[in-house]
Amino acid sequence: MAKILIIDDDLDFSEPLKIVLSAKGYSVDLATTPEEGIGKIETLRPDLVVLDVMMPDGYEGFEVARHIRETLKLEKLPVVIMTNIHRIRKVPYRFAPDKDYLPVDVFIDKPVDSDTLVDTVERLLGEKREEPKTPL
Amino acid sequence: MIETDIAVIGGSAAGLTAAITARRHYPGKKIVLIRREQQVLIPCGIPYIYGTVGSPDKNLIPDAILEKNRVDLLIGEAAGIDREKKVIRVGSDDVSYDRLILATGSKPAMPPIPGFELDGVYAVVKDVDYLAGLQDRLKTARKVTIIGGGFIGIEFADEINKLDGKDVTVVEIAPHCLSLAYDEEFCVEMENHLKNRGINILTSSKVDRIEGNGKVEKVVLSDGKAIDADLVVLGIGAVANNELARQANLRIGLTGGVEVDRTMKTSDDSIFCCGDCAEKISFFGGKPSPLKLASIATLEARIAGANLYGLNRENAGTIGVWSTSVGELAVATAGLTEEMARVLGYAVVTATAEGPNRHPGGMPGAKPHRVKLVFERTTGILLGGQVMGGESTGEFSNIISACILSKMTANDIAMFQVGTHPALTASPVAYHLVNAAEAAIGQMKQGQ
Repeated sequence: MAKILIIDDDLDFSEPLKIVLSAKGYSVDLATTPEEGIGKIETLRPDLVVLDVMMPDGYEGFEVARHIRETLKLEKLPVVIMTNIHRIRKVPYRFAPDKDYLPVDVFIDKPVDSDTLVDTVERLLGEKREEPKTPL
Repeated sequence: MIETDIAVIGGSAAGLTAAITARRHYPGKKIVLIRREQQVLIPCGIPYIYGTVGSPDKNLIPDAILEKNRVDLLIGEAAGIDREKKVIRVGSDDVSYDRLILATGSKPAMPPIPGFELDGVYAVVKDVDYLAGLQDRLKTARKVTIIGGGFIGIEFADEINKLDGKDVTVVEIAPHCLSLAYDEEFCVEMENHLKNRGINILTSSKVDRIEGNGKVEKVVLSDGKAIDADLVVLGIGAVANNELARQANLRIGLTGGVEVDRTMKTSDDSIFCCGDCAEKISFFGGKPSPLKLASIATLEARIAGANLYGLNRENAGTIGVWSTSVGELAVATAGLTEEMARVLGYAVVTATAEGPNRHPGGMPGAKPHRVKLVFERTTGILLGGQVMGGESTGEFSNIISACILSKMTANDIAMFQVGTHPALTASPVAYHLVNAAEAAIGQMKQGQ
């Protein structure tokens, strides 16, 4: 059974998500702060992490993503980052996975329906991160 | 209710081409193109607004082509798609469709570098007013930092450098600018060319943060080096505009594009998708490709527009054909570089041919040209090619792309029947493509 860790300060979002993913057979844990999340990544060794960007003090989800890759050296741990930043900030650009600046696998805008999320999780876990290492 | 047979959402390269293609293939259908912009920018021309053409207004796709092709234009934001009723909501209008093509494009990617929200940080947004704002800002800016040394980055750098009194620096995280498109020897030559034109190039340099009190003052690198800057332009890629498709519950791919099959059909049989908003697969192996180019978009549009009422075209996958020009030096590429091919697992043979593009070399307009071809070792099939030289490099890479698409071998290319002329081409004895292929064949034989 694959283990999924959701790091999000909004339990109104993460708890229903846990129910949906649990129903699909995943073992799901929650963390509500970046510190708790990083601790659980080290102790629980999840197979996939779902991260929120808009943590209490700004963009800490981005920092957690970098910490996972650069400090914990978990370069193959699939990370899905979810955010409502584009809806709130109305910026004319978008944040997106970038191996150097935003090292996550998938960037999803909230609100996200459960089918899309489950599909993303299944593809990431099922495909074992087979996306290209070069742009071609 | 506006009733139509074919609706296209998006008015840039993909949407426009899809609508025109649909008209060519289905002359009796009613076609409407829906776009939110009053004016549509030529995407590849955006950098040249600043140092060459002079303003965003001089870099626009004319609407006359729509009228000529009997495509109705509706300007407004498509707010939603009711797939069951086959209706698009556009402001206070409803537009019914029988077939729909999504060509909603992309937005520039912004890395979450601390300081990205400071005044004076610009992305390459395809919006006339936004780009005019950048042009205004350039009137007073002196120290300009470009983050990203890909095509957009170096083109912006060179164009801004043409303006009086600018101190331009390019910061590239990879060991070389353009390294996603060229092998090292080509990258180094272009970097030296940029330096000779007065542009500062910092490679293997990661931006740690952008600092300033409300507005940009400096860009700080991860090694602690600080670059004074009063304007920052980011050119590090683009992200599919998939909101409308997501709202309509179309299937989205892992790179964020709308999932399509080889016919450019989405998960809804009545809806096709093309351009930057569509998920792409590589020609080489078939894995997802994040490439986004107007030339790819228009190919996909020609497939989508032709397939609406019966499938007759398929996408072979993204080859990746790029070219750029800085001053007198042009570079072009198609397919895989040697390094990329090796990373993907191909055993390769490469060969390079150099010489003037006229004969004799003293002919007016003659320039040195270099062509490097990359072949798969056991089959001899062409995987890629890079060209450096004068203006004709762009068309050279297009020829190389056609060879790749046709899976031509080194022997096929060595057997080209070429026409040559002293004022127009290299000599028949030293024709670059043929000679590079012959040199590669020689290596393959030595390896047997």
